[in-house]
Amino acid sequence: MKEIPFFFSRDDIQLFGFAHLPTETTTKTAFVFSHPFAEEKLWAQRVFVSCARALARRGHPVLRFDYTGAGDSAGDLAETTLETHIADLTAAVEQVAKLAPHAKQIGLVGLRFGATLAAILAERRCIDRLADGPLVLWDPICDGASYFQELLRSNLTTQLAVYGRVVDNRERLQERLRNGERVNVDGYEIGKALFESCAIPSLLPPGQQRVHNGPVLVVQIAANEKQKDRDDLQALASAYPQGRFARVNEQPFWREIRQFYGRAERLEATTLEWLEQIDA
Amino acid sequence: MPKVEAISFLNRDGLRLYGTLHTPGEPNRTLPAVILLSPGVKMRVGPGRLYVPLTELLTSLGYTVLRFDFFGLGDSEGDLSEVMLADVYNHIEVGRYVEDTLCAIEWLATTHGFKRFMLGGLCGGAVTAVLAAQRDSRVESLLSLGMNVTLSSNAVTPAKYLTRAELDSRRQKYFRRLLEPKSWWRFLTFQSEYGVIWRSMLRMFVRDKPAAQQPVSEEQRGNANPLFPPAYLAFLARGGRALLVFAEKDRLYSEYEEKFVAFYREQLEPYQLQIRQHIIPYANHVLTFHEWQREMLEHCRAWLQLPEIRHGSPA
Repeated sequence: MKEIPFFFSRDDIQLFGFAHLPTETTTKTAFVFSHPFAEEKLWAQRVFVSCARALARRGHPVLRFDYTGAGDSAGDLAETTLETHIADLTAAVEQVAKLAPHAKQIGLVGLRFGATLAAILAERRCIDRLADGPLVLWDPICDGASYFQELLRSNLTTQLAVYGRVVDNRERLQERLRNGERVNVDGYEIGKALFESCAIPSLLPPGQQRVHNGPVLVVQIAANEKQKDRDDLQALASAYPQGRFARVNEQPFWREIRQFYGRAERLEATTLEWLEQIDA
Repeated sequence: MPKVEAISFLNRDGLRLYGTLHTPGEPNRTLPAVILLSPGVKMRVGPGRLYVPLTELLTSLGYTVLRFDFFGLGDSEGDLSEVMLADVYNHIEVGRYVEDTLCAIEWLATTHGFKRFMLGGLCGGAVTAVLAAQRDSRVESLLSLGMNVTLSSNAVTPAKYLTRAELDSRRQKYFRRLLEPKSWWRFLTFQSEYGVIWRSMLRMFVRDKPAAQQPVSEEQRGNANPLFPPAYLAFLARGGRALLVFAEKDRLYSEYEEKFVAFYREQLEPYQLQIRQHIIPYANHVLTFHEWQREMLEHCRAWLQLPEIRHGSPA
């Protein structure tokens, strides 16, 4: 396997990419990994890296990359929108197409908000080699409004921890966003345009029939056996012509937990088994 | 305009480490090259991308900056075998990544011709910097955010090792929670940390000197990192300079004062001019809010512009 870190451009923004390429020329599906939002990206980094390497060892070219304002990419997260994220992902798909010119199709693997972005791009059917490609959605965010409320909660928690009280409550934080000010969530500043375009209940409506033709794996990541199957993710899987729902037990490795998560073995195994099935 | 390129180099075990090299518009090899060391298990940008504005500041002042991932972390090769995060942290605190840091220094020296170095980092990155500085005399300065002087794995029962400042802070929290039914439920169903509650309340009645002026007991000092004092003092003894930025609400600050300074006050005395210290009011460990980050950057800017930091001089 050959690994190449590099920068590529999306309009005037320099994005960081990391390619994991099989040594042999291959026609196997190439993949782009779409990372989760803000600090979740950092906690999930090693799981992404280990899974990308596992795919590359199976002969798949893989590109991981950082969205604008994330990781090593340039740009300001507070200036991004849903559309700039989709443009970043599109640019990454174009890059993997150049890196793996013989790959018959391109697939997307995403986690949390990254999975949501992958699903949104696939649905637009604007890239030929992506149209029938596999889509792997690990714990996608369907309800953007709830998700961004969860992010705002991290601001309130920080205020409570350091000031001993909430100085700016949730309503005030939302008002500041609506007025064009920046609001900090877990160390990252977000802005009005991102909030308004993503903090909506119908970001990825689970019940809406989907047009993406390729095989789709929707994975619910459950911390334990007691956790119920999620209706929204099952409905999302059913909405795809070739959708499949799976559930794996893994800790929420995208946030700080007591364990060190160098690899999500069950999640990786489930994903690789599914890919073998669709290859067959 | 500063330039950035993706780079990689091998560590002593042959594992490839990945990173980014940031060079100012007009590279100045007479200045020390700065290596920002990753904190904990976070990759080379740091929590909340803290190292990104710091890198921008450094390059704007003419410094060349290397950020890279240690083995088993970020994009780099290798795997870590630990199951628990505290164990990973502990291995970092006793120097797991010193060799990787020395390799980064050597890579910058051989490929880019740098002869002087500054090591920077938050928490685990800060302690790695001190331990590496002890091993390589080309390291002239340390830019430390939240210097960590304790070990994580010994903190399986962290309450045992709380500093006085932490106990006082806990007591304030307990008072605030007096009217919360959930807190009483925890208290009455044996879920509370009774030892901590008792010790924090006891401090209201037992008079002692202000927390930072008096060393903690040997038991409370039990999780102090024995490798830190000799490494730091040796670095200072050969003229090294350090900027120590702490967050007021971070336990690392009170630990540094109570578990290190209070015990080594005399040994530190001759080096006071080599150390600059700043505490950011209200800030937490990772400087979550950007106003805290801006304050950190302003203090770094002032320190980075000092002639003795830019050009070096005997202390």
